Amino acid sequence: MSDVLLPTLAVLGTLLAGAALVAVLDQAAAGVIAGGPFRGRLSAPLARAALLWLRPDATTEHPDALLWRLAPAAYLALAALGLAVVPWSAEFVPVRLPTGVVLWGAVEALATVVIFLQGWAPNAPLPLLGAYRHAAAGLSYILVSMFVLIAAALPAESLAFDAVVASQEDLWNVVRQPLGLPLFLVVGLGIGVWGPLRFADAADLAGGTTAETSGPRRLAWALARGAMLVAFSAVAASAFLGGWLGPWLPGPVWLLLKMLLLLALLVLLGRLLARIAPGRFVGLAWLVLLPLSFADLLWAGVLALYGGTP
Amino acid sequence: MTLSSLLILAAALVGIGLYGALSQQSFVMLMMGLELIINGAMLAAVGFWALSAGGVPEGQLLTIVVMAIMAVEMALGFALVVAVYRAMQADMTEGLGGLKH
Amino acid sequence: MGRGAGVVRGDSVSWIDLAFYLLAGIAVYSGWRVFRTDSMVRASFLLLLSFIAVGAVMLLLGAVYLGVAMFFMMAVEMMVMALFMVMFMMNPAGLNPMNMVHQPRLAGAAGIIAFVALAGVGLVADFPERPPAAGGDVVRILGTELLGDSMLVFESAGVALLATMIGVVVLSARSGRFGPSDDGSRPPGLVPGGPPAGDPGSDASGGGHAHHHHH
Repeated sequence: MSDVLLPTLAVLGTLLAGAALVAVLDQAAAGVIAGGPFRGRLSAPLARAALLWLRPDATTEHPDALLWRLAPAAYLALAALGLAVVPWSAEFVPVRLPTGVVLWGAVEALATVVIFLQGWAPNAPLPLLGAYRHAAAGLSYILVSMFVLIAAALPAESLAFDAVVASQEDLWNVVRQPLGLPLFLVVGLGIGVWGPLRFADAADLAGGTTAETSGPRRLAWALARGAMLVAFSAVAASAFLGGWLGPWLPGPVWLLLKMLLLLALLVLLGRLLARIAPGRFVGLAWLVLLPLSFADLLWAGVLALYGGTP
Repeated sequence: MTLSSLLILAAALVGIGLYGALSQQSFVMLMMGLELIINGAMLAAVGFWALSAGGVPEGQLLTIVVMAIMAVEMALGFALVVAVYRAMQADMTEGLGGLKH
Repeated sequence: MGRGAGVVRGDSVSWIDLAFYLLAGIAVYSGWRVFRTDSMVRASFLLLLSFIAVGAVMLLLGAVYLGVAMFFMMAVEMMVMALFMVMFMMNPAGLNPMNMVHQPRLAGAAGIIAFVALAGVGLVADFPERPPAAGGDVVRILGTELLGDSMLVFESAGVALLATMIGVVVLSARSGRFGPSDDGSRPPGLVPGGPPAGDPGSDASGGGHAHHHHH
């Protein structure tokens, strides 16, 4: 039974703790950028969460109630699914799937669906606009993410994340394939609805898909977004930063440190970069990012063919 | 999970898809019926591959090619729906009578 | 899961069977509800649920790449289908009951006949019983096949997809072959066959087709 219990606890615990950590980092980043010491206490996000939990749950006229309840739960479940295929050490993988990379692609695609549902369900114009804008961006960056991940999997000659991590023993993918991680970070901002790619919950749409959400549902959605960022950072750390590999500390600690680094980077990017106009991002994704991801894949292929042993 | 139960499941999906494809007036719903039929066919192919053909690689290849065909069918179907709507304001099969006797 | 490429181990038969029956029920029920629900967006996502259930059955059978690829492709396809639903269907949220069928009895009969015939073949025919060789790497075998013996098929599929992409853009681009493709188009009437909806005065480039064109 511990075959099932331990991985489940590990995944869910990481997601929930990580989501809280993302809120704290966001608060700290906001304080630092505002030019002073941390604004407010580091426990302020927890206080805000408690306040949201106690607030009444407002509803709209004729919402799609089932989908509205389902969307944050499904989003969290997708984050758990993505985190479950990431190896924590040479022996411990919550779910040992030979095609983990493709599963992460499926998680990204389903995340777009779930964000659309979150915007569709309230039966209100501003959430629907947020959902549509995100759908346009989501269908654009998913190809970028797939090519970049295929390039990362190419030296491993396998689609399983433990093989991808093991293939980085000599050299991390972030050095071997320099375009990979920056492009993948763009995708991460997208699926987490974060920062410059925050189309679904945009401030110019009065909160977008969360415009009509309040109380526990709002908390659940914020938690799910943080959890998705955590899962993304685990996948990015495994695909580009060598996962659990590292000299003196045990594997899981290295993975957590790399995840922390990526989360801090994502939170900083979220606070430093303004939100792009959706149309401009779609143009950018198809005309610039996609050719760059082709170039990344081509470079990985050239290295695999002529670069000697990876 | 025997081959028979898999084939019954695939047959059920094909049957429901055929019902949908024949009975729906709207183009988009008709395409959803076609998708279900292809879904059933793919499941049957994988069932045969896993339980009756000894894991021969052509089984997976067939499924992948059928997936590509499904993508082609959906994409062209939607493009045609858009083109027909622009030309004739028709989004239901009853709206297209040009080839009728 | 900790399984290799094999299908069934002796001690976990019942777990896999249970999962299979549950997934089969989900696939058939959600596939049937696609055509019975009033809300069109729900219909496309119910179809997605059916596809996900079938993909999970494929994972149970050991086709690890195909199952996950089903999740991936069908999520994107059903997302696009939901957008088209909202574009072209009159009742996307299902706030009114709706039943737009024609020839329902013929369709029902055809569906039942197809099911009986195919299920009959499945039950009666005697298919050989050859499980795959244990310990084979399913994904590696697939990859070697795709880029080895069946490269021609694969590349033809690739070219067909390219032709599809070009065809789709040509068919549906706003700048059509002989001018703007919605030139002269008018919105349908509020009453079938009636005058076009919207402002009757605005004639040129009216259309009222609020295209989400963020350019």
